[in-house]
Amino acid sequence: MRILSILQAEVVKSHQHNFHNKLIYFSLLIWPALLFVTAYYSFKPFNLSSSSQLSKYMDVNQITMYLLTGYMCYIYFWSLVQSAWNMSYERQAGTLELIFLTPVPRLTVMFARAAGNMLEAVWLFTAFTLLVLLTTGHAGEIHWWNVPVAFILLSISAIVWGGFLNIVFLFSRDAGILFTIFEEPMQFFSGVRIPVLAFPLWGKIIAFFFPLTYVLEIFRDLVLNGKGLVELGEQSFILFCVLALLCTASVFLLKKAEIHAKETGNMVLF
Amino acid sequence: MIEAKGIGKVYSVKKKKSFFRSEKQIVRAVNGLNLTINEGEIVGLLGLNGAGKTTTIKMLSTLLNPSEGTITVDGLDAVQDAIQVKAMVNMIAGGERMLYWRLTGAENLRYFGKLYGLSGNALEKRIKYLLDIVGLTNASDTPVELYSKGMKQRLQIARGLINDPKYLFLDEPTLGLDAPVAKQLRGMVKTLAKSDRKGILLTSHYLEEVEELCDRVYIIEKGSLILHDTPENITASVVKDYHVTIETSVLSAPVQYRMKQGLIGCTLGFTENADSTVMQIKAPFDPTAQIIDLCVKESVSIQKLELKRPRLEDAILALAKEKSA
Ligand SMILES: Nc1ncnc2c1ncn2[C@@H]1O[C@H](COP(=O)(O)OP(=O)(O)O)[C@@H](O)[C@H]1O
Ligand SMILES: [Mg+2]
Repeated sequence: MRILSILQAEVVKSHQHNFHNKLIYFSLLIWPALLFVTAYYSFKPFNLSSSSQLSKYMDVNQITMYLLTGYMCYIYFWSLVQSAWNMSYERQAGTLELIFLTPVPRLTVMFARAAGNMLEAVWLFTAFTLLVLLTTGHAGEIHWWNVPVAFILLSISAIVWGGFLNIVFLFSRDAGILFTIFEEPMQFFSGVRIPVLAFPLWGKIIAFFFPLTYVLEIFRDLVLNGKGLVELGEQSFILFCVLALLCTASVFLLKKAEIHAKETGNMVLF
Repeated sequence: MIEAKGIGKVYSVKKKKSFFRSEKQIVRAVNGLNLTINEGEIVGLLGLNGAGKTTTIKMLSTLLNPSEGTITVDGLDAVQDAIQVKAMVNMIAGGERMLYWRLTGAENLRYFGKLYGLSGNALEKRIKYLLDIVGLTNASDTPVELYSKGMKQRLQIARGLINDPKYLFLDEPTLGLDAPVAKQLRGMVKTLAKSDRKGILLTSHYLEEVEELCDRVYIIEKGSLILHDTPENITASVVKDYHVTIETSVLSAPVQYRMKQGLIGCTLGFTENADSTVMQIKAPFDPTAQIIDLCVKESVSIQKLELKRPRLEDAILALAKEKSA
């Protein structure tokens, strides 16, 4: 019950705080939609027949759906980068310190904050994705019975990742780096546009560090290729390990962050 | 009761020497401070900028761990039992930060209320009650960014009371407020201590504020305690000077001379006006009665008499002078 109450508090706060301005919807819908459209049309001029290089790694007939799922999952993860970025705002406003003044379970706040921000940020583009599906006649390519489980996986992964990022930003005030690392590189290396398998080895190694990579692979296999979770056992296990690792690191870092703050008083420095 | 025993705080700060090299520097912000706060009592913490007031408050409110010494709140250790202590205390700082500006007053309180584990009807009731006592009922649905400074500060107070804390720490709560607003706030603080029996620690550099509100005062300098007493005692023990200004009919030189002779141990100064003389007297005791006696004896008519009692401010200034001498 406490968790739900805090989740609701975070949703309301993030709604009033980050979404009070209607312009935000521009960045939540128009921006990813543009990304999708530009990606789509940059593939167009190339020969995407079954003899193309790319076809070794993916079904080239699925390119629309491939990009659409890619960008949708990306938006889930990207919205949490923004939530972590807001930590620096709260640090400056002094409200971060006030949160730590309360006896609230810290881990709950960090993850509720991620969940709240995600819920606010993704519904629009998710709706857009569905709309594109229905209007372009690709709806038939979707394995609908896998959709609920795919979304549950996506959401949980994104929240775990977002909570982790929030905690990392209890240490650092230089939030600008988030955009440098996660805007273009995460799009590229996680396989939003091009399958990770098509990367050279060094690219695959980088991809390995973005949790979105694992989520995307499973998400597409579920929704586009209709594979069952049993078939995806190995991938699911890897994702589970990644998430478990993030959770463990979160618990550990959060403890460290509060101890560090109690030593240095850094929660108000900016 | 809150009891701080020998608490100290050492910050280690990185000083940039060059692009690659930085050096650790130790800043001793608080040093061996003993301090108690009882229920229903307002305790003042005074000191110049950088004296360590905020650091002390943060240690008491569990935001900082003391580098040495112990703090207990009703027997609970502020470091070991921090979570329980947090439920019993709250802190309010002056200034306009520490609120979500885009949320309304009620939404701010609701958010923090939930972090304190309040919910449902109990929470809504509490919000309503608090907005009422700080006089923001009409502004409860207005975003904080549209509030005036005074309104923001009052909302801070409501926020600081959301968990009905037993102890409240106020860090320069009237900073930057207009006099009438500050006065209203002081009234509120007094009520919290005297009617609601909260233990309050207040820092301020407005001395009249401390003098008016506090039952006891700690004066710290560079992190160390230099004086602890009631405001009256501090003033009485440190400032020995009474100042009397008296305006009379014109005094001739012989009368002025006899006045000087009559007021032993006092320093006198005369200013001649066209139809009056202004006499300034500085004395180590209250010389008013003696002056009036002398004036009657010399048949001098008194036009104006003003006694300036020593104030806490004079005490602080005197202390500072003593230190630097
Ligand atoms: N987080 C911090 N890190 C390093 N030094 C600090 C920090 N906070 C305060 N100080 C230093 O500690 C001393 C006391 O500061 P503070 O407690 O804010 O004093 P006051 O509130 O009385 O003005 C000052 O010299 C200040 O520079
Ligand atoms: Mg201060």
